[in-house]
Amino acid sequence: MASCFRSLKAVLIDLSGTLHVENDVIPGSIEALNRLRKSGLALRFVTNTTKESRSFLLSRLSSLGFDIKAEEVFTSLLAARSLVESLKVRPYLFLEDEALEDFQGIETDNPNAVVVGLAPSMFEYNHMNRAFRLLQDGAHLIAIHKSKYYRTKEGLSLGPGPFVEGLEFASGQKARIVGKPAPDFFSTALSDVGVKPEEAVMVGDDVLLDVGGALDAGLQGILVKTGKYREGDEGKLKQVLNTSFVVSDFAAAVDFILKELGTQK
Amino acid sequence: MLPNYTVNIMAWLRSPIKGVMLDISGVLKNGNVAIPGSIEAVQRLRKCGLKLRFVTNETQLSRHDLTEKLRRIGFQLHENEVFPPAPAMVETLKGLRLNPMLLVHPKVLIDFKDVDQSNPNCVVVGDAAEHFTYERMNSAFRLLMELKNPKLFTLGRGRYYLEEDGLCLDVGCFTTALEFATGLKAEVVGKPSSSFFATPLKDMGLDSSEVVMIGDDIESDVGGAQKCGMRGVLVRTGKFRPERDENHPNVKPDAVVNDLAQGVELILSSESFKSLIKHE
Repeated sequence: MASCFRSLKAVLIDLSGTLHVENDVIPGSIEALNRLRKSGLALRFVTNTTKESRSFLLSRLSSLGFDIKAEEVFTSLLAARSLVESLKVRPYLFLEDEALEDFQGIETDNPNAVVVGLAPSMFEYNHMNRAFRLLQDGAHLIAIHKSKYYRTKEGLSLGPGPFVEGLEFASGQKARIVGKPAPDFFSTALSDVGVKPEEAVMVGDDVLLDVGGALDAGLQGILVKTGKYREGDEGKLKQVLNTSFVVSDFAAAVDFILKELGTQK
Repeated sequence: MLPNYTVNIMAWLRSPIKGVMLDISGVLKNGNVAIPGSIEAVQRLRKCGLKLRFVTNETQLSRHDLTEKLRRIGFQLHENEVFPPAPAMVETLKGLRLNPMLLVHPKVLIDFKDVDQSNPNCVVVGDAAEHFTYERMNSAFRLLMELKNPKLFTLGRGRYYLEEDGLCLDVGCFTTALEFATGLKAEVVGKPSSSFFATPLKDMGLDSSEVVMIGDDIESDVGGAQKCGMRGVLVRTGKFRPERDENHPNVKPDAVVNDLAQGVELILSSESFKSLIKHE
């Protein structure tokens, strides 16, 4: 078999569910990441967090024992910030306090954009109505991501997606989604290391956001069977994924990548 | 000054008008203020012997309180002429023997006083306005995810309406959110559902072809009325926005008028149109 990674130059890696689950390291991930670094491939970490700032994520990763630098981490929050900066808009932010740190220095007076992250304390009528009126006046609608719900200790809880969908319905405006699976999110992380999509692979536990999104953006994708993975998830893809790209965990993904790299020598 | 209404004359004249349905918010009043000329327009309709019903998606007040509010503003009407979604919802729940979790405004709860709300097996969403909180939305979401045969009802599916201080989100935003999260499709009790219009039609004892509906919502009022055979008139009051509503991709009103007063003028002068056409 010819190497599927003939010109591989970069690996994009999901965080939660791929390297760790909350405060537990997925076994073998720390060593596997160190091995991957020695290969000389460029590494970037791409995550759809909307609740936690980058510095919060970094301190958790480092306390778990991962060697990851701030400039290697791309979050959907920071992607939203750069979109806000490039559009030169003043956002009305649906964000909880711990995430606001990533928006420090952004002008928010007299808003002309609406940015929706996961902000349960703001998903109520008055804030929603304020956002709706801004949209009526022509504000941009930006969704950090559009997930339907997430799991908490008390059970399933509504994510930002339903509230974005509701605002889209009322305003007649489609939201711009900045996190995975938006192709721009992957390409921003790759342009940071000067690598083309076809020279990169994404490793993650979410079949649609990580793997489906990567394939749509022109990368390859490896699905790990940890985190939120459920048996048969790979069948949800509209694209075809070779079974060798579905592996037990991050360590197995690294083994696969390094082995394929070796075959080209 | 010439009245700049537009009317699809052939559709308009296809049968005599014997009854009129009026939307309330945006047609009779905005918030607590009567739209100029509308109180007199309702009186004119009554004097001419046309049957009159008030068909609304209002769910922030009980039927009784809504009637009283309109009376205080200056309208003359009786409670049994008013058709809001809540009483229709109660009939549906009783018919299906369902116990609802009510995500509605506290002021409309009295209309549900005879409905068993223990061990809920469906969710009813109304315009709860400032009572839409994350906790209540999440409770409804969790119930729908737990139920074996979840059912979601919505009292209308409006996008927004006009209040004195500006446009306000209507129930549709929150129903859409729950639909997206659960993958369910909500059943609408209220306009534009044909079965909702059927109750006031039956109450008038008229065929839908004999009735004109006047409203400010191009989809719920005009589109809904036309779908069940009525003529639909759009008023340029309330939430009406010319750029969006006058060239709607799917709904073409039978007439577009500046306000209710002009709509009533059009209805009452229809007979003379007919004679004009006969002369030609």
